Amino acid sequence: MLRTIAGTGDGRLRLLAAGLLVGLIGIPLARLVGVAVGGGVASVESTLTDPAIVGAIWNTAWTAAVVAVLAVAAGTAAAVATERAGLPARGWLRAGILLPLLCPPFVTAFGWTRAYGPRGLSDRLLGIEIPGLFGPGGIVLVLTASAVPLVWLIVGSALASRVEPDAERAARAAGAGPWTALRTVTLPLLRPAILSALVVSFVFAVNAFGVPAILGTPVGFATITTRLYQDLARSADPAAFAEAGVLAATLVVLAIAVIGPADAWLTGRPAARTGETAGAPRAFSADRPDAGGRRVVAMALGAVIALVTIIPLGAVVLTALTRAVGLAPVPANWTLANFGEAINDRFLDGLAHSVELAVAAATIVLILGATLAALGRNGRGGGAIRTAATLGFALPGSALAIAVLLAYGGFLRDTLAIILVAYVAKFWALGQRQVAGSLDRLPDDAVRAARASGAGPWTAIQTVVAPLLRPTLAAAWLVVFLFAFHELTMSSLLYGPGSRTLSVVVLNAQQLGDPTVSAALAVLLVGMIGAVAVPLALLGRRRT
Amino acid sequence: MSLALPATRRGRGPAGAALAAALALSVAACSGGATASPVGNPIDPIPSASASAAPSGAGATGTITLYTSVTQNTVDAVVGGFKAAHPGTDVSVFRAPTAEVAARIATDLASGGLRADVFWLTDPLSIAGYADLKLLQAWTPPSAGAIAAAYKTDTSFGTRLLNMVLVKGASVTPGPADWKDLLSSDVKGAIGLPDPGFAGSAFAALGYFSQTDGYGTAFYRALKDNGATQVKAPDDVTTGVAEGRFKVGMTLDNSARTAIRKGSPIAMVWPTSGAIAIYSPIAAVAASGNLTTADAFVDYSLSLEGQGLIAGTGWQPVVGSGGPKADGSQVSPDWAAASGKQKDLLASYRAIFGG
Repeated sequence: MLRTIAGTGDGRLRLLAAGLLVGLIGIPLARLVGVAVGGGVASVESTLTDPAIVGAIWNTAWTAAVVAVLAVAAGTAAAVATERAGLPARGWLRAGILLPLLCPPFVTAFGWTRAYGPRGLSDRLLGIEIPGLFGPGGIVLVLTASAVPLVWLIVGSALASRVEPDAERAARAAGAGPWTALRTVTLPLLRPAILSALVVSFVFAVNAFGVPAILGTPVGFATITTRLYQDLARSADPAAFAEAGVLAATLVVLAIAVIGPADAWLTGRPAARTGETAGAPRAFSADRPDAGGRRVVAMALGAVIALVTIIPLGAVVLTALTRAVGLAPVPANWTLANFGEAINDRFLDGLAHSVELAVAAATIVLILGATLAALGRNGRGGGAIRTAATLGFALPGSALAIAVLLAYGGFLRDTLAIILVAYVAKFWALGQRQVAGSLDRLPDDAVRAARASGAGPWTAIQTVVAPLLRPTLAAAWLVVFLFAFHELTMSSLLYGPGSRTLSVVVLNAQQLGDPTVSAALAVLLVGMIGAVAVPLALLGRRRT
Repeated sequence: MSLALPATRRGRGPAGAALAAALALSVAACSGGATASPVGNPIDPIPSASASAAPSGAGATGTITLYTSVTQNTVDAVVGGFKAAHPGTDVSVFRAPTAEVAARIATDLASGGLRADVFWLTDPLSIAGYADLKLLQAWTPPSAGAIAAAYKTDTSFGTRLLNMVLVKGASVTPGPADWKDLLSSDVKGAIGLPDPGFAGSAFAALGYFSQTDGYGTAFYRALKDNGATQVKAPDDVTTGVAEGRFKVGMTLDNSARTAIRKGSPIAMVWPTSGAIAIYSPIAAVAASGNLTTADAFVDYSLSLEGQGLIAGTGWQPVVGSGGPKADGSQVSPDWAAASGKQKDLLASYRAIFGG
C-alpha cells in the first residue's frame, strides 16, 4: 500500500524513519550499553549470575507475560462488547474503560492499597481485603487493570476501521450464530491488532516501576525495575551505576525476545482480506444479543469498571480530603488544607510546559507511527524497524532518561527539547502499535484511484487514508498525549530550571511525611489531566 | 519551545580532581564572572570556634547550580535567604528524590563532567561515594566550627538532623521503649520497617545496627522472625501504624511529628538507647567554575541565619536553637565504615527480607 501511496518515495521514507530511530533510540541505547559494559565484562557476568538478579529478571518476565495475556483477553472482550454488541450506555462504558489512562501508575497503585489493602476502604466498611494484594498476584492484577484501556483502544479502533461488517453479516446470513461469526470472522481479522495489543501490554508491564515498588516490597518481591532504581540510588558507586546499565540492557533483550518474533509474524503474514469496505458503521443488528442480555452485559461491565477504577480513585480522593492518616474518612475529619500546599507559582508554569510537551509529543508520534506502520506492511526491514521503535517503551523511564541525557545532555541539557526527545523515544511505540493494528486494512484500490487521478502522495493520504483512519489516529494521539502529560520519572531527571513539567512541580511540592498531601497532589494531577483530556476527546469525537 | 542553552559551565571528571583548585581558578577567570576564591585551598585557616551570625562569602556573584534531594520549601527558604544576603547571585536548583539526583550526577560524570556547583543531599551515605571519587572540595567553611564532629567530614557538613525513632499506635500500651522491644511477642506480626534498598535513612539504621554490639544483622533476622513487614519508606511505616495495620514501627521523627500534628492516632517514642541521627550534608563541588559563590552558599546554609531558616521549615538544625528538639540522646553509625559496605550490607539484608 505504501508503494501505492508514495511510489518512489518509499526508499527515502524508509531511510528517514531509520535515521530517526537511530537518533531517538539507537544512539541513547548505545550509550546505555556503554555504561553497562563500563564496569568490565566480568562485572556484567557477576551481575547476571547473581541469584537475586536472576530472580528479579524471572519475576519481571512471568508477571509481564501473565499481564499481557489477561489484559488482552479482558480488553478484547470489552472492545467487542462496547463496539459490536449494541450495549446501552455505551458512551459511559467507553469513558469508564478509558478512565485508568488518566492516572499515573503511582496513583493507581496507591489507590488500590487504599481501597482494598489492609485497613483500606473495603476492610473498614466490610472487613474484606484482597488477599495477596501485596505480592505478585496484586502486581499482576493492578497492572492488568492499567493495561486494559490500551488493549481496548487498539482492538476497538481496529474493530472500527478494519473489520468489515459485510463479512460478519455474510456469515450470519449463511446461518452462523453470533459466536461462530465472532470466532471465524471477527477475531481472525483482528489478529494483527490483538498481537499489537499483546506486545504493548507486555512491554507496559515489563517497564512498570511504581506498582511493583509499592506492592512488591512488603513481600520482598523484586523486579528488574525495582532493582534498577535501588542501584541508581547507590550510583555514587560506579559499580552500582554499571549494574543499573546491565539491568536496563537486560530489559531491552527481554523485550526484543518477545517483540521480535511477533513483528516477524506480522510482517511475514499479510492479513486475510475479505472485502474493501473499510470504515463502516460500528454495530449492526444481526450480531446483537437480545435486549435483556445486553443490559446484563452492560451492568457487568459497569460493575467491573467501578471495582477496578472508580473505587480505587475514590479511595485516593477520600485520603486527600482526610485531615490526617489513621482518621476515619468521614465528613467530620474532612479538610481542603491538603490541597493548599500544591498550588504555588510554579504550578501554572508547569501546566503550560506539560501541555506544550504532550501536544508536541503526541503529534510527532502520530506522524512517525503512521509512517512506520505503513513501512512495516511492505516487508524488507519493516518488522525490524517496528521492533526497534518499541525498545524505547520497554525501558523504564529512569533508564531511558539516563540514556537520553548521556546522548544529548551535552547540548540539550535543561531544555524542553531534551524532554521531548525522551517522550517521543518512549511513546513512539504506543502510537505506532495503535495505528499498525488498523492500517493494513486500507483499501489499496481507493489509494490507487486517487494516485491515478493525479493526486500526489500526501494528497492521497489526506483525502483517502486519513479520513478512513481518523478514529484510530485520534485515539493514538490521545493516548500519547495522556502518557506524556503525566510522565514523571523521565521528567524529574531531565528537567531544568526553565523546563519544569506539572508532574515535577507536583512531586517537588510533596512534603516528607504526609500521605494525605501526596493524595491531594495526585488528585490534583489527575484532575488537571482530566480537565485537559476530556474536552480534547470530545472535540476529537465531534470531528470524526 | 525554548531551545536555549543553559547557563552552566563544563565540569571536570574525577581525574582532574587533584588539580581541582587550580582549575577552578582558571575556569572562574575564563567564565569572566567570578573572582578567584582563596577558599579553594585545602590548607585553610583554622576554623573559628563558633558559627558566625553574619555569613562570610564576600565576592560571591553570578549563578551557581545546586543539585539537591532536600524538601522544596527548605531549599526555597535557604536559596531566598542567600540571594538576599548576596545581591547579584542566583541559584539554579535541580531538586529530585535521592535516586534521581544520584542518577543525574552519574550521568554528568559519564558525559563530560559535573554541571553542579553544590550538592545538598539527605543522608551522609548518599554523599560519601562522591567524596571517595574526590569530587568534593576539601575545606572548612567558617561557620562549620560550631558543628559537632559527628556531623561533618572534611568535605561535607551537616545542615539538619533526621532522627530514626520508634512509632506506635496511640492505643498500644505500654508500647516499646527501645529498639529491642520490637522483638516482643506483644507486637508480633504488627511491625513496620522501611526498606534500606529504597530509603537512605533506613540504610543508615541498618548501618547502625550492623555495627552495634547486641544487634548486628541478627537483629533483622529476629525482626523478620517476629513478623516484621518491610514497606518502601518511613512515611509508609507511619501511615501503616496510624491506620492500625502495624502496632509499632521504625520511622523518621519528622514523619511522625507531621502526622501527630495533623491528628493521626499515633505516638512517637524516642528510643532509650538513642535515636539514630542522620545528618543532611552539603558540599561544594571541587571542579565548580564559581567556587567562590558555591562556598558562600555552603557557608550560608551552616550560618546561624541559614540554620534558622532550615529550622523554620520544620527540621532540627545542626547549629543553634529553633525547630523541633531531640527528645533524648542521639547516636550515629560510623558513616565511613557503613558507606564502604553498602553492597554487602544490603545483600545480607535482602537475604532476610527479600526485595
